[in-house]
Amino acid sequence: MFLAWKEIRHSKAKFGLIISVVALVSYLVYFLTSLAYGLASSYTNGVTKWKADEIVLTVDSNNNVMMSFMNNEDYDSIDVQDGKRAKLGLFPAVIKDADDDTKDTREEIYVFGIEENSFIAPKEVITSGLEDNEIIADSGLKELGYAVDDNVRVAGTSLTWKIVAFTEKATYQTAPILYANLATWRELRYGSSSSDSFSAVVVQGTATLSSDTPLQVYSISEFISNLPGYNAQVATFSIMIGFLIVIVAFVLGIFIYVLTIQKTSMFGVMKAQGISNLFIGNSVVAQTIIITGIGVAIGLILTLISGYFLGGFVPFAINPLFYIGITIAFFLFSILGGLFSVRAVLKIDPLKAIG
Amino acid sequence: MSKLIEMINITKDFIQGDDIVHALKETNFSAEEGELIAIIGPSGSGKSTFLTILGGLQTPTTGQVLIGGQPFSKLALKERSKVRFEKIGFILQAANLIPFLSINDQMVLHNRVLRTKPNQERIEELYTRLDIKKLQKKYPNELSGGERQRVAIAKALYHDPVVILADEPTAALDTNRAFEVIKLLAKQTKEQKKATIMVTHDERLIEFCDKVYVIVDGVMSRKK
Repeated sequence: MFLAWKEIRHSKAKFGLIISVVALVSYLVYFLTSLAYGLASSYTNGVTKWKADEIVLTVDSNNNVMMSFMNNEDYDSIDVQDGKRAKLGLFPAVIKDADDDTKDTREEIYVFGIEENSFIAPKEVITSGLEDNEIIADSGLKELGYAVDDNVRVAGTSLTWKIVAFTEKATYQTAPILYANLATWRELRYGSSSSDSFSAVVVQGTATLSSDTPLQVYSISEFISNLPGYNAQVATFSIMIGFLIVIVAFVLGIFIYVLTIQKTSMFGVMKAQGISNLFIGNSVVAQTIIITGIGVAIGLILTLISGYFLGGFVPFAINPLFYIGITIAFFLFSILGGLFSVRAVLKIDPLKAIG
Repeated sequence: MSKLIEMINITKDFIQGDDIVHALKETNFSAEEGELIAIIGPSGSGKSTFLTILGGLQTPTTGQVLIGGQPFSKLALKERSKVRFEKIGFILQAANLIPFLSINDQMVLHNRVLRTKPNQERIEELYTRLDIKKLQKKYPNELSGGERQRVAIAKALYHDPVVILADEPTAALDTNRAFEVIKLLAKQTKEQKKATIMVTHDERLIEFCDKVYVIVDGVMSRKK
């Protein structure tokens, strides 16, 4: 530690460059992680908002909620002990502002048909209620110029709905969610509210199906990983982040190795004087840890600053757990890189220092 | 006076291809308190082999080295490093200073390795003796060659070793500087009651030494 720190203090420019490389790459990794997490969340916010354990779809739907058609008979065949169940209708639509014809923008949204008193209803329903042709919208729509009491027209239909409240973090497959009651949802889905049809049953607890029902229970995580594009996207980001961490370890490992090789004669003299491999090796590893520590701290600070300023434009979301995991990975891999140099230290022959 | 370091019937052979090279033929040697001893000889004569065996960096083929009457060369490599660290002070050709440590930090490196507290009194004393007090905050590259070797002597003496081994300590110095450094080394050897063994090919330094040995083709003989 003594040697490691003294050397960094003495060669500020050299170590400043190395630290800045670590800082920039770790910045990239943290930022990318926040974006990946933000994007993944915008796929699933509407689902995690349920705080549910399972979802029941028809077997024929092949785990595609949009292709699942259920009725009250199906609902009754699902038994949940010590838990709750809630009917869900799900269908996409395009909306536009009904009050302002000059506004020529359309938004792609998902309509979640729910029962007003079910556990999957957003909490705003308590104060706003949810009558026919009323909706509670994702707060993202506020940024697009919508306000409470605004009317929206559903493109391709004659339906007009009124926004009665906004709710936070209600997105599904990156699009905002509009919550409507089941009757309103059926008007959209089937053109009439007379059927008893809906898409799925969301379950808190464990669902048991009576035999010979054409239904299937999926865990929420199975359901999420089956959302179109979700797994591919998460895998893409994970691979990128993983590679970046390994690259940092390599770059840092190579830097430390070059520095170690440059110091061969100095280490040789130290070994000739009887200073142990342990002491020298420790200071090499300590140096790696100091460089990683400072670099990663700068990267993290830059990420938080960028997140603060860019949060509105990109899906930036902070997950401390991911940050901790990545930081641990950074340290582990860079220590591995440092240990590579310790091998070089062990091989230095103190005899070379004399004669 | 007691023998601080002793070589008993030492030989060192190397195998080079099919030949055996006798780098050091049977050698007996000892150094006593207060003695500054020079080992001279042409390059390749076995001087360095002699010094590295004395310092425990190489194991002799036969015979053994004792430090303060205790076996040294027969110890395991790791143990030998430990004894070397405690009982031997080194002064090397290019000065054994670490480029990124200030002179103050060079002195306490020994403590850092052992995780002990620096002996400020000792440091002050050595600074005064070697007249390097004004250099204490400087780095090696800011010092002249002579200053560097004075610091190296202070550093070698700091941990109160039994023996000081010097490898060409004046190689990088002009005559005046070299004389100055050797006089200091001789004086400190006497005052601090150490034995200093110095390998050099600079015969001008002989007049400051108590004993002089010559090594030619692995055979050592007393010259003075």
